[in-house]
Amino acid sequence: MFKFIVRRILWLVLVLFVVSLITFTLMHLVPGGPWDREKQLAPQVVDALNKRYGLDKPLYEQFGNFLWGVVQGDLGVSYSFQGRGVTEILLKGLPRTAILGILAFILAQAVGIPFGMAAALKQNSTTDYASVIFSTIFASIPGFVLGILLMILFSVALHWLPTGGWGSPLQLIMPVICLAALPAAQSARITRASTLEVMRQDYVRTARSKGLPENVVRVRHIFRNSLIPVVTVAGPELANLITGSFIIENLFSIPGVGRLFVQGVFARDYGLIMGGVLFYAFAIAILNLVVDVLYAAIDPRIRFD
Amino acid sequence: MKKRTIIFSLIAFLVTLSLILPACAQGDGATKPGKLTDPQVLRVNLAGEPNTIDPNRASWSTERTVIMQVFEGLLGFKQDLSLTPVVAREMPTTANKGISADGKTYTFKLKNNVTWSDGKKVTAKDFEYSIKRMLSPDLAAEYASFYFGIAGGEAYYTATDKSAAEKAALKDKVGVKAIDDTTLEIKLVDPLPHFLSLMALWPVYPVREDIINQFGEKWTEPPNYIGNGPYIMKTWEHSDHITLVPNEKYWGTKPFLTEITFKMITDVNAAFAAYKNNEIDIIAPPAGNEKTVMADPVLSKELVRYAELVTFAFQFNLAKPPFDNKKLRQALSTAVDRAAFVDKVRSGVGKVALSWIPPGMPGHDPNLGSEYAFNVTKAKQLLSEAGYPDGKGLPQLKFQYADTGSNPLIAQFLQGQLKANLGIDLTLEPMERKAFSAAVNAETHTWAWFGWGADYPDPQNWLPELFGTNAGNNHTNYSNKAFDDLAKKANIELNETKRLQMWADAQKMVIDDAPIVNMFYRERFVLRKPWIKGHKTTGMDGDVSGDMFLNEVYVQK
Repeated sequence: MFKFIVRRILWLVLVLFVVSLITFTLMHLVPGGPWDREKQLAPQVVDALNKRYGLDKPLYEQFGNFLWGVVQGDLGVSYSFQGRGVTEILLKGLPRTAILGILAFILAQAVGIPFGMAAALKQNSTTDYASVIFSTIFASIPGFVLGILLMILFSVALHWLPTGGWGSPLQLIMPVICLAALPAAQSARITRASTLEVMRQDYVRTARSKGLPENVVRVRHIFRNSLIPVVTVAGPELANLITGSFIIENLFSIPGVGRLFVQGVFARDYGLIMGGVLFYAFAIAILNLVVDVLYAAIDPRIRFD
Repeated sequence: MKKRTIIFSLIAFLVTLSLILPACAQGDGATKPGKLTDPQVLRVNLAGEPNTIDPNRASWSTERTVIMQVFEGLLGFKQDLSLTPVVAREMPTTANKGISADGKTYTFKLKNNVTWSDGKKVTAKDFEYSIKRMLSPDLAAEYASFYFGIAGGEAYYTATDKSAAEKAALKDKVGVKAIDDTTLEIKLVDPLPHFLSLMALWPVYPVREDIINQFGEKWTEPPNYIGNGPYIMKTWEHSDHITLVPNEKYWGTKPFLTEITFKMITDVNAAFAAYKNNEIDIIAPPAGNEKTVMADPVLSKELVRYAELVTFAFQFNLAKPPFDNKKLRQALSTAVDRAAFVDKVRSGVGKVALSWIPPGMPGHDPNLGSEYAFNVTKAKQLLSEAGYPDGKGLPQLKFQYADTGSNPLIAQFLQGQLKANLGIDLTLEPMERKAFSAAVNAETHTWAWFGWGADYPDPQNWLPELFGTNAGNNHTNYSNKAFDDLAKKANIELNETKRLQMWADAQKMVIDDAPIVNMFYRERFVLRKPWIKGHKTTGMDGDVSGDMFLNEVYVQK
């Protein structure tokens, strides 16, 4: 297993390099640069800014400088948030986004898995139909619509919750619900499907026929085996949640990392874009690795060779 | 949406406007509060995290809103946007020898009781340091080009490739000098009649050399952020909020508020919800909500409307045929029903514009451009004179705009007007915001939506920069030798009456040639909670309405 992890990490370095290269190329191909404004800056000012941020150098040199910085743990400087390093900005926002993401992930699984399982165990019952309705609704309502609806209800009409911001647990409630809605719906659907499939497996019939009590069959044979597809999906889902959501963070004014990347693209903040992409790629790759390692823990048939 | 533009307006226009708009009648501010019992906390929203709050470097209105509470310059603006001395003891004039006879040397006498928030005295040296730092090639300050009229300023700023020694030599040649602790002398290349306006803007607010040297980029974080204004910064939770509290060492009249919170809600609908949930005291409702707000029994009473020094227009690219045809441009301009535009597209907020310089600014001429008043018959006639009778032979016209906010609606309106009134088809070309700016700056556009807001209330800010041949923000490719010659003279004319007349003549040339279709003068549309008193607005307000006079705001529930 150690070898497997080392090999994956070596691959990761290559992946990150390619991701940086592609992003860097695309970023410079997109029309409009960081200094393009509705009210144009004087040419002398643009020259001075280019000089200050090293944009007067040839592109390969700029890319080389970026990589050299990354090796030293420095993701460069933000062009829009003057005087602040991208590393500093990401590190400041990351814990907040991660807290939101982890809470949303827990909520999603805590609601989705039991719901899906109950639906499968009682197929075609009221519970089953309720789970279908729940999943369909939350899988199809976009986050910003749900967010605005919650805001109108809990903030504007009832005055129970603050509309957004960071600092108190009350401010977490609405964004966590919004973030959890879609993964909860997906989890419920996947758990239901996979549970139904596992229930029809030979080993489940064997377990029952050898006279095991139904509870033991459910917990030891059905539950555990039906989780494999759920874990497969949960990995990227968790990665997605803890890297944050532009829409939810923007709507609820969460000072996290989720909106930085999109803000960076809008502002052509090359520093923020490169740093953000690298960070995303890293987070997703690492979480995928964790999921692969977890597989082995759940399913003894999976081995690292 | 952030605007780099800083917006100015004159109270004179406010008065006129209040006759038309009843909501304006609720202006207050003259009454002084009695005993204040409620918590004196003002909560307002910035459109987002300020990019920087370093006065020398700032250029966006969000940034300025914060800076103006913490710093004060030599000069400032009154509510009617006339200039007033702040840190300076008096306005420099030729009579008091503040301005030399040739108009090229300005001498500012400073008050001697002005202190920083850490108790040190504010001296002329602080201003010298600040102005030279702002012009430094290494800082790359965005507003520096406004100050290239200072002797040696441009040479120093553009010395980006020079050695440190050469830069130091150029810095010494910059014509800004502290003669003693209370005397600052500034030498200009040419006389600049609008120079005093520039000295009231934030890039030349004083900053502290020792603090900046000690903390570097971190000097704008509390508690390093030392200013000389009524407030100091208590917290800056990046991308979440900034909290200001009164500066105990403030030398002037102490403010009423004990705390100002700048939230940073970037989603306009969320910000509106926060206002309704009493989390924010002053807000601009999202565009498109104007009619709902005006019809709402509660919100309509909290509405404050006032004019801004902002004009919006459609700009032709004269280098792209058929827009090189003056008659065609005039025909198109006459074919647009601006009253319907303001009513339908802007929900009645704003004022029809036929000329360029907005009301409330010196140089506004209410009669100018009347020939472009909506008139279909005349438009058809002009179109025919342009060589395209009934639009025959006219190539496909294209219109570009940034695909954000209400811009698509604006473009569709223009498309509808040309079709209905002249039978001309217009192709709409929406673009991503930065891509649009890049296209206009590179002049690949043909006909585009654009707006301009005053940096300072002077026609000089509205004409040569936009209509001078090859000027920085001239994206119409308008070129008129008579205009250029006149602008050159007006730029340095010291006789105020003559100078304004020259700019009036220059504006008339532009209007006659119709490189732009003026559409409307913008109006500010904000909601203010009834307990907020002493809120004084100007057309020059930045991101937060009334941000020039937040030190006079108080809370009375």
